[in-house]
Amino acid sequence: MAALEHPAAEQTPSGASSLRPGPEGVEQNIFTTSLDAMVSWGRSNSLWPFPFGTACCAIEFMALAASRYDIARFGAEFVRFSPRHSDMMIVAGTITYKQAPILRRIWEQMIEPRYVISVGACACSGGFYDCYCTVPGIDEIIPVDVYIAGCPPRPEAYLEAIMQLQAKIMDESYVKARAQRAHERIHIG
Amino acid sequence: MKPSAATPYHQAAEPATAEARAAFEKAAFAALAERFGATLDPLDQWGLTAVVDRSRIREVLQFLRDDPSFRMDTLLDSCGVDYLEYPGHDLPRFAVVYILKSMVAVSHRLRLKVWVEEDDAVVPSVHDLYASANWQERETWDQYGIVFEGHPNLKRLLNHADFEGHPLRKDYPAQRRQWLLANDPMIDQLEARLRVLGYEILESPAPTSPSLEETSFGRKK
Repeated sequence: MAALEHPAAEQTPSGASSLRPGPEGVEQNIFTTSLDAMVSWGRSNSLWPFPFGTACCAIEFMALAASRYDIARFGAEFVRFSPRHSDMMIVAGTITYKQAPILRRIWEQMIEPRYVISVGACACSGGFYDCYCTVPGIDEIIPVDVYIAGCPPRPEAYLEAIMQLQAKIMDESYVKARAQRAHERIHIG
Repeated sequence: MKPSAATPYHQAAEPATAEARAAFEKAAFAALAERFGATLDPLDQWGLTAVVDRSRIREVLQFLRDDPSFRMDTLLDSCGVDYLEYPGHDLPRFAVVYILKSMVAVSHRLRLKVWVEEDDAVVPSVHDLYASANWQERETWDQYGIVFEGHPNLKRLLNHADFEGHPLRKDYPAQRRQWLLANDPMIDQLEARLRVLGYEILESPAPTSPSLEETSFGRKK
């Protein structure tokens, strides 16, 4: 315990808290970072999934959300069934041409920033449904951030995908994206 | 046929042995041949398929359903068949097959087949004889393009509304994909169903989902 204590903490009368008012404690109570790192840290650790489950891959998602695999460990346990409450769409299953406009519509209803995980052979490529009725991969309709192989993939593969998505979000720059939006709005050159 | 007090389902069931099935098939085909001029399907390799003329299919089905010695109360399936490029086939291109079973007499099973010419692909609808035929005929129209005369709502069942052609026809390229560009709302069908169930539609919603023409939907033919 002693190794963790800051020298300044010794001055607190009770020792229960190292938070002290006053200018001499400021350097212990404030840390500096970049806005990008802070925003990305928040986004990557509070993903709210929207399960777009149409086939057996969605059953694996149920296992993932249950206690054995437990996506709560990654801050992504709040499964929302409204696209307006969620920012990570999990497309788990076969997408037909009849379903495609619905998928597109729901993706458009999601708030930004929004991320898409394409789960399993069917969502990634159409799978073995090489026929007139199945969309050959949902990336024909919406942008995909992470693909998971498998038919269906195991829950561990889901976890790997969520960790990869978190790494991807940590690499994003909120400031750059905001500058880009401002640039587009004022039409410079 | 509804179960009556005289023959409830659980008592009427006799075991469906091979002998009972063979005896039923023999008797059924004899009766159909005598009454409706049915012939045996030369392509059949299992059980019994009786071929009848399409103008008499409604009579045949009604007879099989109501006659106390047949009691074929269930239409398990009705579907289309495309015999294009079938080896050695010189009969009409399409067929519609009705698969019947009795829930009272479990050894009663039968298939009926109706030949349909390509340039006159029309068959009388039997949706009023067997309620399950309603969607089965819609599916057959959707996939094979066979029209069912007298059907109350002959719309596509599986493929989307903008789909062109009939994909289970042998001359449809299996990999030819078609995008659905607009939404395929089913409010009209929902409201029709609610009216049947006794609900009153006070206000019909305007289409809430704008057409995908307005979006950046990536379309590829």
